[in-house]
Amino acid sequence: MGIFRLDPETYRRHKDDVLRLCNSFQRIDRRGLSDAEIAVELGLPERVVTEIRCVAERDCYPLDEWEKAIEFKDQACREWAALALKRPDLKRGPDG
Amino acid sequence: MSELPPGATAALKSAALKAGAAVCGIADARAFDEHAPPRHRPADLLPGARSVVVVGGAQPRAGDWAATSRAVLETMGTTERIQSVGRRLAQLIESELGYYALFVPPGTASGDTPFLSLMLAAELAGVGSRSLAGPVLNSEHGFLYWSAVITTAPLEVDGREVEAACPAPACREMWEREATTPCLEVCPASRGGCLDGRLESGRAVRTFYDAPRCHTRVHTHWIGGFQKVLEEALNEPDKDKRKMLLYGDFFTRTLWAVTYSSTNVAQCFECMRVCPAAHGKKELH
Repeated sequence: MGIFRLDPETYRRHKDDVLRLCNSFQRIDRRGLSDAEIAVELGLPERVVTEIRCVAERDCYPLDEWEKAIEFKDQACREWAALALKRPDLKRGPDG
Repeated sequence: MSELPPGATAALKSAALKAGAAVCGIADARAFDEHAPPRHRPADLLPGARSVVVVGGAQPRAGDWAATSRAVLETMGTTERIQSVGRRLAQLIESELGYYALFVPPGTASGDTPFLSLMLAAELAGVGSRSLAGPVLNSEHGFLYWSAVITTAPLEVDGREVEAACPAPACREMWEREATTPCLEVCPASRGGCLDGRLESGRAVRTFYDAPRCHTRVHTHWIGGFQKVLEEALNEPDKDKRKMLLYGDFFTRTLWAVTYSSTNVAQCFECMRVCPAAHGKKELH
């Protein structure tokens, strides 16, 4: 029996709709819907919507984005250091 | 159950401050109905809920904000200190006042969705207001961590904050000059960041927020990072390359974090670091 496991085809079919409706990409003109509300909207069981959302939240960006996050924070720290210490040369990374 | 003794609300707030909270406010449990979807309202978690006690505090120290190392900044998120205040208040409400009290769990109900929005709770309890960057800021202390207790006790509720901390005067000036603000400039959605928004009649209006991308920055070495590298490792047929992934710095640092061996839950503060309203009103030299 195992744990509840989402059918990959169901995931592929509904991933974009669930991401559009939930709170992942927030826009000014609408509140993100709860899983129960999305389930009504898409005609799916709530448990299936919850699973689609959970997988999609992690699946939105590839591993590269985590590396970019590190680069972003390193760069922001260098710029902060350059500003705080009045040393423009610190803006450059260790590799120049 | 009897009604509350006189001064019970004030005594509870005083206990919160003594326990280490910087601020304490109380929201009407029914006020959530207008903003939160069903199952994410106080009465969904505790039947008969009448009030929500919100405490804020445990903010990063001024020295943390000034740090120039990413690795140091990634250890600033110490939410457990304010959670312990919330737990203590829940115990106090039950033992001293005789009403049910449910400490809102700090984890998630499913995926990245919380049990109850602590940001909404802080707004409704009058201890903060939403910033353009996202986090709720207190007008006196700036960026805080939050904890909440749902209770059946009919406590006296507070009104919303009248003066929002965001936008700060410096940000209004920057918007006039450059049509941007420090937070939008440091993390713009249009250039690979998380945020978009504007100032409109002196008010902050956030128009877009990319939560999944923010997650990669705030939780770089956390659940998501762990899952991503694990997936990559499982898909990697070469055993030596697998070793490089699993023994490398990224995965090692992630394991330190997820095992709480080195407490770091929130790991990106760049939108808050540049925010003039986020660091409180006390100046250090």
